[in-house]
Amino acid sequence: MQLAITKADLQTITDHCMKGLPNEACGMLGGKDGRVGKVYCLTNAKPGPDYYEMDAEEQFRVMKDLRGQGLDLVGLFHSHPTGQAYPSSVDVAQAYWPGTELPNYPDAVYVIVSLMDRTKPVARGFSIEEGKVNEVSLVVIE
Amino acid sequence: MSIKVRIPTPLQKLANGQAEVECGAKNILELVDALEKDYPGMKERLSDGGKIRRFINIYVNEEDIRFMNKEETAIKDGDIISIVPAIAGGCC
Repeated sequence: MQLAITKADLQTITDHCMKGLPNEACGMLGGKDGRVGKVYCLTNAKPGPDYYEMDAEEQFRVMKDLRGQGLDLVGLFHSHPTGQAYPSSVDVAQAYWPGTELPNYPDAVYVIVSLMDRTKPVARGFSIEEGKVNEVSLVVIE
Repeated sequence: MSIKVRIPTPLQKLANGQAEVECGAKNILELVDALEKDYPGMKERLSDGGKIRRFINIYVNEEDIRFMNKEETAIKDGDIISIVPAIAGGCC
């Protein structure tokens, strides 16, 4: 499994994450067949250096836009301003429907951008399913 | 005419695999009961003690019920109800 993304789209993501400092930043990725076609930078509705919650209204509008454009939700991204590019226990818990192990967005790759080194953001992709975190290759294309 | 309900992926199994179902109700609480009647297990997934669970957002057409009348928000034939899990998380 992999997620292909253009260099420009990856830059859009890291720019949004840098702009959100010192808090976490977040957004959604539309696309098809494992390739990102559109980056949606969203507002962190509960901003904190170790928490994010996507603005519900913006999230709803993105989903409407995806349906309108015939795109799928291929990814979700957020930053870890001071942590590794790896899903935290909170990230994993929140990936499921409350009180279950049913993934909310099973087809979405969770892209996490570590800003531990502000000069060299690190982005990695993961699938979160059945309590397991597996890395998904982010393939950067020109 | 009836009310269309968009079912999110994690609940589609309860709804026999359907992404959209139809039912009749006058408000969100009644809608939860109507879904439970047709698809047992829905009520527990959606609500707790008569309140919609946190991290679940419900829209009547394009309006978030939190900014309307919450669980008492009135709905009518022709409305489209979307059930959308929130996206959240955090480091460490």
